[in-house]
Amino acid sequence: MTSASAPLVSIRSLHKSYGPHIQVLKGLDIEMKPGERVVVIGPSGGGKSTLLRVMMGLEKIDSGSITFGGKPYISSANADAKTAINTDVRRSIGMVFQHYTLFPHLSVIQNLVLAPCKVRGEKKASATQRAQALLERFGLGGKANAFPAQLSGGQKQRVAIARALMLDPKLMLFDEVTSALDPELVAEVEQVILQLAEQNLPMMIVTHDMWFAKNIASRVIFCAGGVVVEDGPPEQVLGSPREERTRDFIDRVFHIKQ
Amino acid sequence: MNYTFDFNAVSLGPLLDGLIVTLKLTVAANIIGVVLGFPLALLIMSRVSAIRMPAMLFVEFFRCTPAIVQIVWFFYCVPMLFNVFLGSTTMGILALGLNLMAFNAEAYRASIQAVPREQVDAGIALGLNPLQRVLYIVLPNALRASVPVLLTNGIVIFQQSALVAIVAVQDLMYQAKTLATETYRPIETFTIAALIYFAVSFPVTQIVGHLERRRQVMTS
Ligand SMILES: Nc1ncnc2c1ncn2[C@@H]1O[C@H](COP(=O)(O)OP(=O)(O)O)[C@@H](O)[C@H]1O
Ligand SMILES: [Mg+2]
Repeated sequence: MTSASAPLVSIRSLHKSYGPHIQVLKGLDIEMKPGERVVVIGPSGGGKSTLLRVMMGLEKIDSGSITFGGKPYISSANADAKTAINTDVRRSIGMVFQHYTLFPHLSVIQNLVLAPCKVRGEKKASATQRAQALLERFGLGGKANAFPAQLSGGQKQRVAIARALMLDPKLMLFDEVTSALDPELVAEVEQVILQLAEQNLPMMIVTHDMWFAKNIASRVIFCAGGVVVEDGPPEQVLGSPREERTRDFIDRVFHIKQ
Repeated sequence: MNYTFDFNAVSLGPLLDGLIVTLKLTVAANIIGVVLGFPLALLIMSRVSAIRMPAMLFVEFFRCTPAIVQIVWFFYCVPMLFNVFLGSTTMGILALGLNLMAFNAEAYRASIQAVPREQVDAGIALGLNPLQRVLYIVLPNALRASVPVLLTNGIVIFQQSALVAIVAVQDLMYQAKTLATETYRPIETFTIAALIYFAVSFPVTQIVGHLERRRQVMTS
């Protein structure tokens, strides 16, 4: 059924608030096609993390709907209603967070095989084999039996990415996965994500790293005040933004960078 | 002061017998406290107030009254109210065990609630169902975090157990008191008793310190 132009993700009129006073998303509409890599940029507190958390099914929403691969995924009629989340669809989405992503009591390999074995009932031997192969690919072959505390920040994030990939996600969400890293560790994590981009894995990425945004994005969305302000190809949104607010933001971010 | 110390006047035998009783009390109370403190922690975190309130009352009773009062109360009131008397050692174990259970429940609750939200979120993102998230993420995380506090509470109970001497349990403190009276050597006797308590407690506190330092490294 999914033709080339049918959307992978379709977000309609998404409203989300935290409590009665903090309105974060105020009617967001985003459509994402298969194979797209959408970078979301915008001021801090603008609701980027909230958007990704909602897409991961981690947050209740006020109203709006999300479909995934044509199937209903998340919906809510109003703020008092229960948010309906299709957990089968949720399993086809993976996410990597900024902090505390790995389970500290499990070794690297145990972190990777936990979900495949428990969620999908995969045999431990087969999951371990796949996990080992993924670790090798990400340059972590020697770290299978290390514990998260023994890894650098960059290694932890690469393990977190590998762990998400163990479930063969159809969409990956990355929320500022390099923001907490020492500068010299950022590249190794970005390289891994770029490697995934070459395989056309659809992804949505929140980042403040403009170099990375330019290199990874097939499309950039500038989000502020809970709505999409500008949406287009990276050259346009990052290079010559149409909206004044986008221009201000990009000037500021580049300015800080130098 | 021209007091001459005479440690030879104090025979170690009764004190070591007393230490064995003290260690038995401590181990038994710790089994009660470590095992039953956990379900109690789940009760005090219940969303149902009819479950939570009595459990919290139980915990607060033990946290907000002196242990010596609890022990005496157990000894004199429980037999009268419930018409049971279980022998002084058993009563001592129960009093100490319930006290420790209350403190350990708090330790478990605090460490369960301290599991970073991101850990649970990561579990959801990996498709684990609520029960799997509790079993494979929250509990192992929390139990590890609670170990130093459980050990500290356990060693506090080892020391508090000296209080049961007042209700005639023949523990280390009881033997020390008896010996002090018999030998007229209270200073030597209680010095040795203190050293014995110290010799058991000190290594445990060192282990706790080590575990805490290791945890700090692990979670940063
Ligand atoms: N759990 C929460 N409870 C209350 N307010 C929150 C919560 N999470 C985020 N917010 C608020 O929502 C707004 C958007 O936050 P966030 O989505 O994290 O923005 P961004 O990722 O773009 O910086 C901020 O004002 C933030 O303080
Ligand atoms: Mg954020």
